[in-house]
Amino acid sequence: MKVLLVGSGGREHAIAKLIRRSLLEPRIFVAMDYRNPGLEKEAEDTGGGWRIVKTTDPQSVAKVAEEVSPDLVVIGPEEPQFHGVSDILREKGFVVFGVSRRCAEVEKSKVFARTLMWKYGIEGRLYFKAFRDLSEARKFIEFAGDVVIKPARQAGGKGVKVLKDTQAYLSKDRQEVKKTYVEKLFSEMEHFVDIDYKILVEQRVEGVEYTSMVITDGDTVLPLPLVQDHPHAFEFDVGPETGGMGSIQGPGWLLPFITREEYLKTLEIVKKVLDVLQLEVRDRYVGAFAGQMMLTGIWGPTVIEFYSRFGDPEISNLVPIVVNDFLEILDRAASRRLAGAKLEIDEESVTIVKAIAPAGYPDNKVLASNHPIAIDEQRIRELGCETLYASIEMRNDGFMYTKGSRVFEIVCVGKDYEDTYKRSELAVNYVRTLDGHPLFYRRDIGSKELLSDRVRVAEKVRIVYRSRAEKGLLGKMLVWVPGEGIFENPLIGFVR
Amino acid sequence: MSSLLTVYAFDELWSLVNIVRYGFQALQHRGSQLYVLCTVKDGVTCYEDDDVDISRHALDHVAIAATYADKNGIKTSVVSRDGVEVAVVTDRAWRKLPDFASELIREVKRCRNVEEAFKSTLQRFVDEKDSIPSIQILTNNREVIAWRTPHGLTPLVLGSYCFDMAIVSSESTAVDILGGDVKKFMGAGEGVYISRYLVKTFATSISKEPSLCMFEPLYIARHDAVVDGVSVYIFRKLLGEKLAEHLDTEVDVVVGVPETAIPYAIGFSHKIGKPFELAFVATGGRRRSMLLSDPFEKIIAVHLKMNPVKSVLEGKKVALIDDSMVTGATMKTVAQILRFRIGVKELHIFIASPQLISTCPFGIVNLDMKTLLAANLSSDLARDYLEADSLHWLSREDVDTVCRKFSLKLCGRCFGVNFLGG
Repeated sequence: MKVLLVGSGGREHAIAKLIRRSLLEPRIFVAMDYRNPGLEKEAEDTGGGWRIVKTTDPQSVAKVAEEVSPDLVVIGPEEPQFHGVSDILREKGFVVFGVSRRCAEVEKSKVFARTLMWKYGIEGRLYFKAFRDLSEARKFIEFAGDVVIKPARQAGGKGVKVLKDTQAYLSKDRQEVKKTYVEKLFSEMEHFVDIDYKILVEQRVEGVEYTSMVITDGDTVLPLPLVQDHPHAFEFDVGPETGGMGSIQGPGWLLPFITREEYLKTLEIVKKVLDVLQLEVRDRYVGAFAGQMMLTGIWGPTVIEFYSRFGDPEISNLVPIVVNDFLEILDRAASRRLAGAKLEIDEESVTIVKAIAPAGYPDNKVLASNHPIAIDEQRIRELGCETLYASIEMRNDGFMYTKGSRVFEIVCVGKDYEDTYKRSELAVNYVRTLDGHPLFYRRDIGSKELLSDRVRVAEKVRIVYRSRAEKGLLGKMLVWVPGEGIFENPLIGFVR
Repeated sequence: MSSLLTVYAFDELWSLVNIVRYGFQALQHRGSQLYVLCTVKDGVTCYEDDDVDISRHALDHVAIAATYADKNGIKTSVVSRDGVEVAVVTDRAWRKLPDFASELIREVKRCRNVEEAFKSTLQRFVDEKDSIPSIQILTNNREVIAWRTPHGLTPLVLGSYCFDMAIVSSESTAVDILGGDVKKFMGAGEGVYISRYLVKTFATSISKEPSLCMFEPLYIARHDAVVDGVSVYIFRKLLGEKLAEHLDTEVDVVVGVPETAIPYAIGFSHKIGKPFELAFVATGGRRRSMLLSDPFEKIIAVHLKMNPVKSVLEGKKVALIDDSMVTGATMKTVAQILRFRIGVKELHIFIASPQLISTCPFGIVNLDMKTLLAANLSSDLARDYLEADSLHWLSREDVDTVCRKFSLKLCGRCFGVNFLGG
């Protein structure tokens, strides 16, 4: 079977590894933006090939597809979907696993996604207010309280400012930051001409995050095991937000800090959103879908955002544990025959993914780019771990260079967290830059300490949301303004 | 007594003026005689003042700071060499500090890696007799190191605020008050390197057998602090319960010397089933009498915080609890108030620590051998001096038992033993 994989990073490398074991004996062809050595190797090993194209340009991708003439096209990242790559390929008669432009709106526009949840009263929704113009946002932010300021468009997981504001004595300082940040974000969002609203001010919530991914053909929804990502750049959840510095999964379909009930509630939310989304955009959703969730005291399972593709690095956790034919599942989804399909995983194992990034990531791409880098994959394999190549480019001089984001993802599997953690910690040592530029990764991911902290936090918010559920207060945030009445508006601050 | 505080905002949008001010306020109980603040403004600049308003200089998004209970000795050093500037701030006076700072800057110039330079400089200052204090450094390149003393005598925690700040503090209270979450209790000899694009914790090979100063959980930390993973309040309550086992007579009420001794008295009261009463009301805000070195100032502070609530004590048999007794001056004052101003029927004094019989070899608590009550007076004489009907101390074994419940190991040098618990 000929498969054309569109995309250039770690997520696509994970997909390639997941599908190449298939009994359908895939020849993998890759359309990527730069020479990712990992993807090159998967392509060459399977007797496929690779092309360098601008993956967000539908015509260029279509041209590659016409040359390769694949039986299945798999689209990895969100940006090609936003640009209509899936649509044009389908128009040309290709079988595509990847979401149409209209369906991908659920990830691209955070306002659209939030509005959808409110319109259909879906649980786990947060309060928000969206802004098209700066002066209106400026006025609002004067009175904003405990909020998150976000770009209204998916921008590679960047630009989110969480401003916990629960202490009046520091409120003015935080307000100053909010005001300046709103200005800054507006000017950064200006170059996105494909959206209406520019920024979003959202209710801030606390709890433990997890990702619930599914595969769907529009009718049947096939859930993947839960995975937890780690967005902070540095150890112990310190530092700026990144696309994810690593993730943990297992054992089985749940995580150690999420109950079956919470898992089922999450799936219920995800399925409802898929239903109303298709209704709203009048298009069929074919591809991967994910809820970036948080277990909060406000709702229990709460939606932070949606992905119209597999999470990165979340999909990497599945590489060592999917037992049956992943390619067959993608193919059945793409050709709308998913009913009756089953995903089998090794339910006894846990997986830990650690991303390795050059210093400078995520806020200084120039500093993080163009560093020659080497890896001893053989040693990593001997530890029972796999290497995924992410933001890394093979150049004509025969050396690999960093491209500014996470360079490698090391995926380890084992019978429990303790053993798997130990091996993952050894494995990361086999990566080094050749010019001495510092690399970093998070030692704490997968550790007993961090895991027990998650269990503790989850238990704390569980007590809160269960008590709120009993009182019929789930999702509600009541504010009493004397003389005016009771309102539901958690976005207002101390100063009115 | 002292505290260290680092606030590192990863986003330049932040001004730290108020943030450092409230951080200082959350640490004031560890010393408010001297404030130090170092920040970067065309190079590293350090300010010293006895006013918390020193934080007005924290206009940058990175600051290291400290508070001290006294102004003695060298605790700050700023050095520069060929364009590199470094401020070094320690949590107690250290005579080797100027040498350390010069050596450090030489190493920074040599290896161009602040973390490595710090580690190799430390190696040269290991001294069996002396203990290196906890250290914070700030470079003009806005690189920070916060490092915990190798004995772990004083605590250090790493916290964070959302995606925006790393906060390091001697006590968890500052992280709480700044709206952050405590992320890690730093181990003895463990440090954290913080820069705009890299944060990492590191161990140093010079860690000694770690033991926290007993005075941290006993007196220095706030009730709401968590020290090395141990809730200070719960620890104090358990010591109070243990103390109650020494009661060999009937009492009517339990009172604590405000305000550190309150949880001890609550624990004591729970254990014996007699009421805990609020017996004293302070005037003019909280002042920590033990922190004051001038004896006259100290008595003033004691008198101001001890206006008694007569009605709950008159004619009663009273168990009076305090966390520790150094010179006995506070206790003598309280005892006089209870005896003469109120007229209690019986006065039984309970001290929630073993007898203080030695000075502090590390200079954490300022103890003078000739003024230590327990080192100079026999138990009977002390009791008579305080005009108490009985005087009881926790034994070192009692403290061992409580410490073990928390897997806590304390330095007990001033109590005449190397370690307590563990």
